Amino acid sequence: MTGLTKVYADGTRALDQLDLEVPRGVFFGLLGPNGAGKTTLIGAATGLIRALRGSISIFGFDAVSDAHARLLVGVAPQDVHLDRFLTAREVLTYHGRYFGMTRRQAEARADELLTVFDLQAKSKIKPNRLSGGMRRRLLLARALVHRPRLAFLDEPTAGVDLELRHDLWRYLRRLQGEEGLTVVLTTHYIEEAEELCERVAFIRAGRIVADGKPADLARTFGVERLEDAYLAAMR
Amino acid sequence: MTSPNVRLAQRRGLIALMGRETRRVVSLWTQTILPPFVNGVLLLAIFGGALGSRIEAIETIPYLTFILPGLLVMTVAVPSFSNASTSLFQAKSEGYIDDLLTSPLRGWHLALAYLGGSLVRGYAAAAALAVAALPFAEARPNAAAAVVALALTGLLFGSLGIITGVWADTFDQHSFIASIVVTPLALVAGVFYAAGSLPEPWATLTRFDPLFYLVDATRAGLTGFHEAAVWLSLAITAAAALGAFTLASVLLGRGWRVKA
Repeated sequence: MTGLTKVYADGTRALDQLDLEVPRGVFFGLLGPNGAGKTTLIGAATGLIRALRGSISIFGFDAVSDAHARLLVGVAPQDVHLDRFLTAREVLTYHGRYFGMTRRQAEARADELLTVFDLQAKSKIKPNRLSGGMRRRLLLARALVHRPRLAFLDEPTAGVDLELRHDLWRYLRRLQGEEGLTVVLTTHYIEEAEELCERVAFIRAGRIVADGKPADLARTFGVERLEDAYLAAMR
Repeated sequence: MTSPNVRLAQRRGLIALMGRETRRVVSLWTQTILPPFVNGVLLLAIFGGALGSRIEAIETIPYLTFILPGLLVMTVAVPSFSNASTSLFQAKSEGYIDDLLTSPLRGWHLALAYLGGSLVRGYAAAAALAVAALPFAEARPNAAAAVVALALTGLLFGSLGIITGVWADTFDQHSFIASIVVTPLALVAGVFYAAGSLPEPWATLTRFDPLFYLVDATRAGLTGFHEAAVWLSLAITAAAALGAFTLASVLLGRGWRVKA
């Protein structure tokens, strides 16, 4: 991402000449306070934000104009919005087909992910009948149906209990390891970033203020823990 | 330039979304297909049956036969419009449209898929009405002009429904267009009377209603009676349908009022 700028209609400058490079295959954490621009950044990379300035390249494809980039990206938004006319399994199969899979491929992949995310018993249930944790898992599964090479997960564990958070970490680590995904994760939980992320960037007021390996960031800010580095960066 | 792989993915995505939209129409048939059919049958029974015997034939055409083409147009137009606008508005207001906006589908793919569901709804309701009514009407079914006019009705009003679904931010805005614009336009399009029988300025004003041309062309096909040149009616509505579909595609492609 180079020189990425987004100004909303109300004048809010959500991204301000933001530059960021995410290395291939890493688990990358994006940490910042509310309103720092994390969700806007993800929206910009996944086609959910319009009228951007700057450029975003995803594996060499322009994220805004080249539909090929869309095939390579999966996204689990912060808010859980799932098609209420479809069952859990259909949410996954239709998603796969929207992204170019055949019906058979999409159904096989849906069954695989329902198993991975412990949702196979709920495959015929519509999303509004699932618990919050199940919906969150279904949203994560949906992001991965079409086998993206880059997954954006926007606060995937926000508002979930500790047990489910640890379950989700386990799922994410497993998927990243098995499928060679590049993962960009936004979170408010420092321990989540420490647990999962090989590299971390701090974002504040629409700009990246620091990025690197967690240990390197701590060293840069002259502290011992990532949490202290984050607090120092946000001052 | 779009690569063959992406084009194939887009084609599959288009078929999937069109299937989803069609499935929504069919699975909710008591809300999507039945009401316009019942509405059409009631209007036909009241105006064509109960009152029709007291109304003189118009241009030698029995009244029930005279109003049937307009009712078929209404039965295509209103459901086609409301299907596209409702489905898109729901996807937008409930947020699951994000799944489509992040996909490789372009604006025209999305517009075409939503239009597909709308056409299924409008044509299914109109086909049911035609099957119920044609035995009682002295019509000439299968007339090409009527078929083309009904096809254009669906294309035009389905596209207008997409534009409304994209534009509407609230349910009130969404229902305002359906109840204050589309339904009245249908009622004053010469469904129940010949426009030429109206005093001025109403006779002239009727000709500014796009539905007038669709009703007139359908009537020409089913009864032989028309008040405007059929080719002109079809050309005007084809141009309007193309313009509306293009606008719907551009708006969806640019993400106007859909993306942040």
